[in-house]
Amino acid sequence: MTNSDFFAARDIHEACTRLSQSGKEAHILAGGTDLMVAINRRRLFPHKLIYIGQSGMDAIEVKDGHLVIGAAATHTAVIQSKAVKDHAGLLVDACCSIGSKAIRNIGTIGGNICNASPAADAATALLALGAEVKLVSAHGERAIALKDFFTGPGETVLQPDELLKEIILPLTKGDSRWGWLKVGQRKADVIGIATAAVSLRLEHGTCRDVRIALGAVAPTPLFAAKASAMLEGRTADESLISEVAQAAADETSPIDDARGSAWYRKQICGVLVKRILTAATK
Amino acid sequence: MPVLELKVNGNDCQVLVEHTTSLLEVLREKLMILSPKMGCNTGDCGACSVILDGMLVHSCITPAMVASGKEVITLEGISASGELHPLQKAFQDNHATQCGFCTPGMIMAAKALLDENPKPTEPQIKKALSGNLCRCTGYKKIVESVMAASADNPASGS
Repeated sequence: MTNSDFFAARDIHEACTRLSQSGKEAHILAGGTDLMVAINRRRLFPHKLIYIGQSGMDAIEVKDGHLVIGAAATHTAVIQSKAVKDHAGLLVDACCSIGSKAIRNIGTIGGNICNASPAADAATALLALGAEVKLVSAHGERAIALKDFFTGPGETVLQPDELLKEIILPLTKGDSRWGWLKVGQRKADVIGIATAAVSLRLEHGTCRDVRIALGAVAPTPLFAAKASAMLEGRTADESLISEVAQAAADETSPIDDARGSAWYRKQICGVLVKRILTAATK
Repeated sequence: MPVLELKVNGNDCQVLVEHTTSLLEVLREKLMILSPKMGCNTGDCGACSVILDGMLVHSCITPAMVASGKEVITLEGISASGELHPLQKAFQDNHATQCGFCTPGMIMAAKALLDENPKPTEPQIKKALSGNLCRCTGYKKIVESVMAASADNPASGS
């Protein structure tokens, strides 16, 4: 494909080269499930599209002691992957709650991250899984923690010549526990009013590697650092779980919108975290 | 302007498109294939559902160029022989078509399900159709139709 306004990259190097030549004029296109909505609503008119859906960036594999998920892997591919099921069951649960089957079949995990919606389900789960993201450009690559990737609604640290290559997750070890809960206006095909993702490891009853993340309750998917630290190294009981859930709710800064009020979002966050922790620490 | 080459319902097609043109626009406006409907145009209602290389997609938010070199099946393509597809027959027998606007998308979503799981349970059917909205709110007959069509399937699966 040589046409200048639609470029189908055959590999990541082609995508990076074309992106560095095009700069801000170009948008990266993967599944298009967010980009096309913006285009159809006349909110965006990209002069150029660089398509990465057939660039081989969709591999999911265990590599060098990590689970590595290519940014162009579809939600359906993530859900069906044995490696993801074995090492990141939380991500499977979150991806199952994204959109509809038709969305999951073509929408990608990298798109869910780069679109940077505060309500992004996969992104919220990945925060709780301690994900790193690898960003590449024609000039090199860098890896950063996903929690440092988002800077605001629809905004990230990605430079104009950079694209997301892959997501890197630690492998599960020991007695790993997790939970995902989403509250929406209906059960399926919705953007969350609030979501909660928790991952932890139980070591003789003690909580380790506790990570609590919340969606749709802050300008970005939120890693609840204080609440997570509060449970780290401790044995969960009813009163501690209540304190942690309250701390998580306190870390949120939700807004009123068509889906729910700020007050409701804050309340429900505490409830979701409490429910997950109660079930996960049994 | 990019040239899009794809196969639609078994026919090879070549179409000139804008880079931001949706697959739905190509089907309806360039190829005059009118079963996929434009409802929301944002991937919420499912009226535009088609099968792209075996996968159910919302054609309104699928960039046409993404279908390059691929095969698209629309409702027209599942009864190409002139015989009604078992799902179409079941929708007819069970009066599952009310205003008809959502029907092509419903049938394509149901077909994608039955291709993957020939004997789905009722909850599995409801889940598979959750990306398709019916404005007449007649879901019961739609679900019954899919159950009826699956009953005729050779058993493989639960």
